[in-house]
Amino acid sequence: MSEPMIAIQGLTKRFSTADGRKHLAIDDVNVEVAEGEFVSILGPSGCGKSTLLYMVGGFVAPSAGVITVQGRPVTGPGPDRGPVFQEFALFPWKTVLENVMYGLRQQGVSRAEAEARARALLDMVHLKDFADFYPKELSGGMRQRVAIARTLAYQPQILLMDEPFGALDAHTRTVLQNELLGIWERDRKTVLFVTHGVDEAVFLSDRVVVMTRAPGRIKKVVEIDLPRPRVRAELLVNRRYQEYIVELEQLIEDVHLEAAGA
Amino acid sequence: MKSALRKLGPATSTVLSLGALLVLWEILARLAQIDGFPPATEALVQVPLILGERESLASIGASLWRMFLGGALALCFAVPVGLAMGRNKRIAQALNPVLTAAYPIPKAALMPIIMLWFGVGDLSKVLVIFLGVSLPLIYHSYHGAHAVDEKLLWSAMAMGMKPVARLFKVVLPSALPDVLLGCRVGLAMALIVMISSEMIARQSGAGDLLFNALDMALYGDVYAMIVILAGIGFMLDWVFERVRRRLVHWAESRQDAMVPGGGV
Repeated sequence: MSEPMIAIQGLTKRFSTADGRKHLAIDDVNVEVAEGEFVSILGPSGCGKSTLLYMVGGFVAPSAGVITVQGRPVTGPGPDRGPVFQEFALFPWKTVLENVMYGLRQQGVSRAEAEARARALLDMVHLKDFADFYPKELSGGMRQRVAIARTLAYQPQILLMDEPFGALDAHTRTVLQNELLGIWERDRKTVLFVTHGVDEAVFLSDRVVVMTRAPGRIKKVVEIDLPRPRVRAELLVNRRYQEYIVELEQLIEDVHLEAAGA
Repeated sequence: MKSALRKLGPATSTVLSLGALLVLWEILARLAQIDGFPPATEALVQVPLILGERESLASIGASLWRMFLGGALALCFAVPVGLAMGRNKRIAQALNPVLTAAYPIPKAALMPIIMLWFGVGDLSKVLVIFLGVSLPLIYHSYHGAHAVDEKLLWSAMAMGMKPVARLFKVVLPSALPDVLLGCRVGLAMALIVMISSEMIARQSGAGDLLFNALDMALYGDVYAMIVILAGIGFMLDWVFERVRRRLVHWAESRQDAMVPGGGV
């Protein structure tokens, strides 16, 4: 097997709580993600799945363990790993176009070229006519489209998505899931996708990593062997899709029961 | 009546409420018949006379110049200090007790000490204005820098932005709405401290004019000066508010339209 895109070994994270006690958020997690793979991390809130993603991003330092990206240990953030956050995190003082151009300009791309690429991306996420708007003038779904375009603009090899559709209404979430899959099926970036939605994880992923709660450990890794391109309406009547949903729902139920029983 | 009032623009309602205040003043003063409380008309006729005099204009100009100088110095000093406190826990822990202790002190109360050290001239007055403006400015800049969304910084880091660039390109713009709010509070503070400093170190300035008139029992002039000062304050605030809205038009609207004016 060739070298994995992301390799996580013995990853552990402890936090100090306000009263000085140690809280074990993530305990000895081992995962490998292949190049071009779409992997979801599924778990209840408080299982440390976002923390795991932030450590891969280099935003949070692990307490123990090693993360390597293409063989190189992660020591901090870098443009090879592009984050997309639930809160969108757009620069509110920049227009939509300027937000999307920002990363490119940071990389030293000329203004003209950055603008051309940003406009192409805005076209792709159906926001061509909103280039001169400010983030506050857009709906949540539109803001997240801008955020995705902004991250895609500087061409990271890996997308780190932290419950990106968690703050959106059900309809918008479905639309954006479809758009994300469309984009991903074209250029097959490596994606690490944090979610607590079972159907979202199954619909999007090649593999789903189910995590336990407090401390966060890997409960099970489920391969999602469904044909691509995936079409929601077809999947809903697909027997295997339904079985994956049931299996994962059951696993999440178990995680909740274990946490309650402990 | 209510709906009619609501339809009026802000300019019209300002004129209306100011007019009502003047009428009330006129009536009360005519009824009270006190030397120290002249009717509005008697005070207002003095306004153009004072503003027509070269000497008093120079005095008011000197006051505004000191206010501008003190405010500009405070801006250069307080904003970086506040931003540094907001981004660095150690700096915040070191300076917070000092700020908390200094905040409730009326800055004019420091004037006698400052005069002992720096004399009764411009330097002392500029210094005390600087102090008065610095505190709210530090406080609001600190608050703004402290509240910067971590994910914004992370997004910038992932793009490869270096720490110093992040300070200017992410922290400063993020904190700008708060910094400007601090400026507005500071502006009101500067006016208050300006007058009170001139009242203590009487040499020149608008405050000196006011208290000279009081000494000579020229009550019409006293009230006229107050009207002039109120007018200056109103105009400065109006201009500043225009500038502020231009600079942070992108910000999500908040309930910060009302700004505490001071009370020192």
